Amino acid sequence: MPRGSGSSRRPGAEARPRRGTARSPPTEAPAEQETVVLQEAVVTERSDRPGTPASAETEASPSTPRFRIYIVDTGWDSPGHKVLQENFGLIRELQREDPIYVLGREKSIEYLRHHEERIGHDPIIAVHDLAAMGDTGTTDFHGFRLRLGLLRTHQQALLALQNFARFLRMHRQSVDLEGEIRRGLRREGLAGAIEIILGHEAREIGG
Amino acid sequence: MPERWSDYLTIFMSALAVGYMFYEIDRRQRKLREIFDVLDAEDAAVTARLEDMVASGELQPYTGATLA
Repeated sequence: MPRGSGSSRRPGAEARPRRGTARSPPTEAPAEQETVVLQEAVVTERSDRPGTPASAETEASPSTPRFRIYIVDTGWDSPGHKVLQENFGLIRELQREDPIYVLGREKSIEYLRHHEERIGHDPIIAVHDLAAMGDTGTTDFHGFRLRLGLLRTHQQALLALQNFARFLRMHRQSVDLEGEIRRGLRREGLAGAIEIILGHEAREIGG
Repeated sequence: MPERWSDYLTIFMSALAVGYMFYEIDRRQRKLREIFDVLDAEDAAVTARLEDMVASGELQPYTGATLA
């Protein structure tokens, strides 16, 4: 059973406010959901729900770092590696509020020597949610990660990276990041099955 | 009897179709989670190591515009 399945959702995780920045600017949150590779998994609900905390004490500036972004890349000659190299500057600019830590080749190799089951999954982008870590440390939900190395084509890797960057921007002030991710993952599996039933061409996620 | 067989066949095929649907949903969710998933308790050690590297100054925010 893969972790993160629907039944493994932690009680209370969804309702717990992560930080008091629930009110997204009206222009930032999407009004409707889209359906492209990975996008359903990483997009989509307005974060300006009623009932979210909005006291001045808990509000943070939009420029306050919400995430720490780590990049592990040993340098495999893979589409994911190339896409990341080609578009890193853009990611850097889009996420300028959040620090990006690049492990470098030596540190990445050392990292994967200790986590050999992840060899070939890199480039890996791990995002630590500082709000969640402030609440529960690392014992519960505390971020998310993208394994670009598992994508087989340049187009898949690029689309995944774009959706990932969009997700980061759109959810910087989310109060329920975990819930949004898990709902998206469930929707994606269901949507794929419905496509098959309807006889449409299956979407390619990792081939 | 032929009518019964056809009933059995219909039930069997329907069960197969439903089973396939659930299998396909599960397969796609697994595949997606391989690529994109949350970090939770299973990743605590890795997360802590990365955070330690930042806290100790071993890792600094990357300011370059391109990856070396």
